[in-house]
Amino acid sequence: MTETEAMTPQSIATTIEKQSSPALACYGLSKRFKSIQALDDVSLTVPRGSIFGFLGPNGAGKSTLIRVVAGLIAADKGQFEILGKSSLSGHKVRQDMSALVDRADFYKNLSAYQNMKMLGRITGHDSDEHIDRLLNLLGLYKRRKDKVKTYSQGMKQRLGLAQALLPNPKLLVLDEPTTGLDPQGMHEIRDFILKIAAEENVTIFLSSHLLHEVELICSDIALIFNGKLAAQGSMQNIFDNIGDVTVELEVEDSAATLTFLEKNDLVSQVTPLAHAIRIEIHYSKIPELIRLMAAAKINIFSVSQRNRLENYFLSLMEGK
Amino acid sequence: MIIFTLTRNELYKIFSLVRSYIGIILFTIIVPLILWGYGMGTSHIEAEIESSVSEMFFIEGSPTNGFTAAYFIMNFFWIHIPFLLALVGGDIFAGEQANGTFRVYATRPISRLSIFISKVMATMIYTFIFVFYFGILTLGLGLAWHGVGDMLVFQDGVLILESSDALRRFFIAYSFSFMNMVLVSSIAIFFSTMVRNAVGPVIGTMALFIFILMVSTLPLDVFKSIQPYLFTTYFSNWEQAFYDPIPWADLFRGLGLIVSNIVMFLGIGLIIFRRKDILS
Repeated sequence: MTETEAMTPQSIATTIEKQSSPALACYGLSKRFKSIQALDDVSLTVPRGSIFGFLGPNGAGKSTLIRVVAGLIAADKGQFEILGKSSLSGHKVRQDMSALVDRADFYKNLSAYQNMKMLGRITGHDSDEHIDRLLNLLGLYKRRKDKVKTYSQGMKQRLGLAQALLPNPKLLVLDEPTTGLDPQGMHEIRDFILKIAAEENVTIFLSSHLLHEVELICSDIALIFNGKLAAQGSMQNIFDNIGDVTVELEVEDSAATLTFLEKNDLVSQVTPLAHAIRIEIHYSKIPELIRLMAAAKINIFSVSQRNRLENYFLSLMEGK
Repeated sequence: MIIFTLTRNELYKIFSLVRSYIGIILFTIIVPLILWGYGMGTSHIEAEIESSVSEMFFIEGSPTNGFTAAYFIMNFFWIHIPFLLALVGGDIFAGEQANGTFRVYATRPISRLSIFISKVMATMIYTFIFVFYFGILTLGLGLAWHGVGDMLVFQDGVLILESSDALRRFFIAYSFSFMNMVLVSSIAIFFSTMVRNAVGPVIGTMALFIFILMVSTLPLDVFKSIQPYLFTTYFSNWEQAFYDPIPWADLFRGLGLIVSNIVMFLGIGLIIFRRKDILS
């Protein structure tokens, strides 16, 4: 009997449902550590194909949720699904998921290749070609035979990403992957995440307290405070609902522009800087202001938003 | 099968650590040294034994031969080997916790039970290799150095065992010793599941071992009633392999208690590990 012949309407329906199910769905997850309620009835949905930013201040519950999903700790209440598989199925729920939780640590007395080989063996993804391809993708191929104890933290983080990609996951969970890295290392990891998402067709669930980092790479976000989910949605939806944002304008004639802006009702606050003008304006009014400035023959060199997500984040925190 | 793959990984990790070779290197140095010393300093013992028993018995070969030397070394080291085994057993879970490697390893789609079984299997294979190496080294080197002969056992007087029966008795003795060492490794694993540093389980294992050993050997009436239930009471049960006849009932009674302790320590270790939150 072939696979097609064995299919029934129910199995086809189940297959379609699984294919359309989110990459990750959490339902009422709760976890308590002694007197601290680390997670309090958290429910969230990570769409397939997204780069999902999971934001919150230190101690908000980001790492706890990730550890629950990664199987490192058990939730007191609630359950979750990964690509349609329920956490009630035990460790099998993580069949299509991989994780890099916190700092990447390895068996230091083994080489990158040996670490990868050993980890790949667990899921049957230990062919030399596959390992070499991933080490090459993460820029570690030339150092693959060197012991991990000789690696910099940035290299270890990249190796962490490489090991997470070993089982060809459909969902990649990354817990603060740029922590402890210098600006160049952070930049490299961000680039790798975008590259992986595009080339490997992986949904990425990324926790971070670096708002700028999330704003740069994420398509969807969720925010958590004191173990409770405060907001979630696509980045576009969230920005559409943002009130005033800070915008910096680089213009040719600062004096004339200042006069123009001070008279304009769209702008709520104007601050001249050394080489630019900072304004506070409602997010949705930015295009209209630019049109008006252009009509007034003001030559604009650049318009850049500052701390858009930070403003939103802080406004939510203040409301809590 | 996933258990074998994981066990292979665990063995790979164990044998990539320098500490795993400390005991093996130590014995490789000290056993030949003892055998050399044994050859240098037993002439008067030999003469004394010969003068006292040669009128009653015919002793084939030298009374201080390789078998007797191996028996002598076994007596000497049964309390030291546990410490060396605890170095590996104590590190098997706690070392991963301390190094943060569990965060990478335990996120794989494998059950905690599989991880536990593979770590226990790898530790027991290491224990077997250690005891086997110790046996080969003492017996093999002892026989090569001091030759074959009837074996002298000092047990309520002197017992002379035929050389043709000695190897069988050593096999039995090493088999029971191995089970005792499996218990030591199980205790080390139990402590290893509880803490996040590799030193604690080693100290914990030895502290428990020494404490129970003291209680089981102190000739005080207050401890007499509990001594039959303490595993250390049976730690020298391997000596019974050299009695004539071998008291099999006693040997297996002791083995029963050793096995039940192994099951208990590993069982509790498994419960702890399955419920453990891997936080750092």
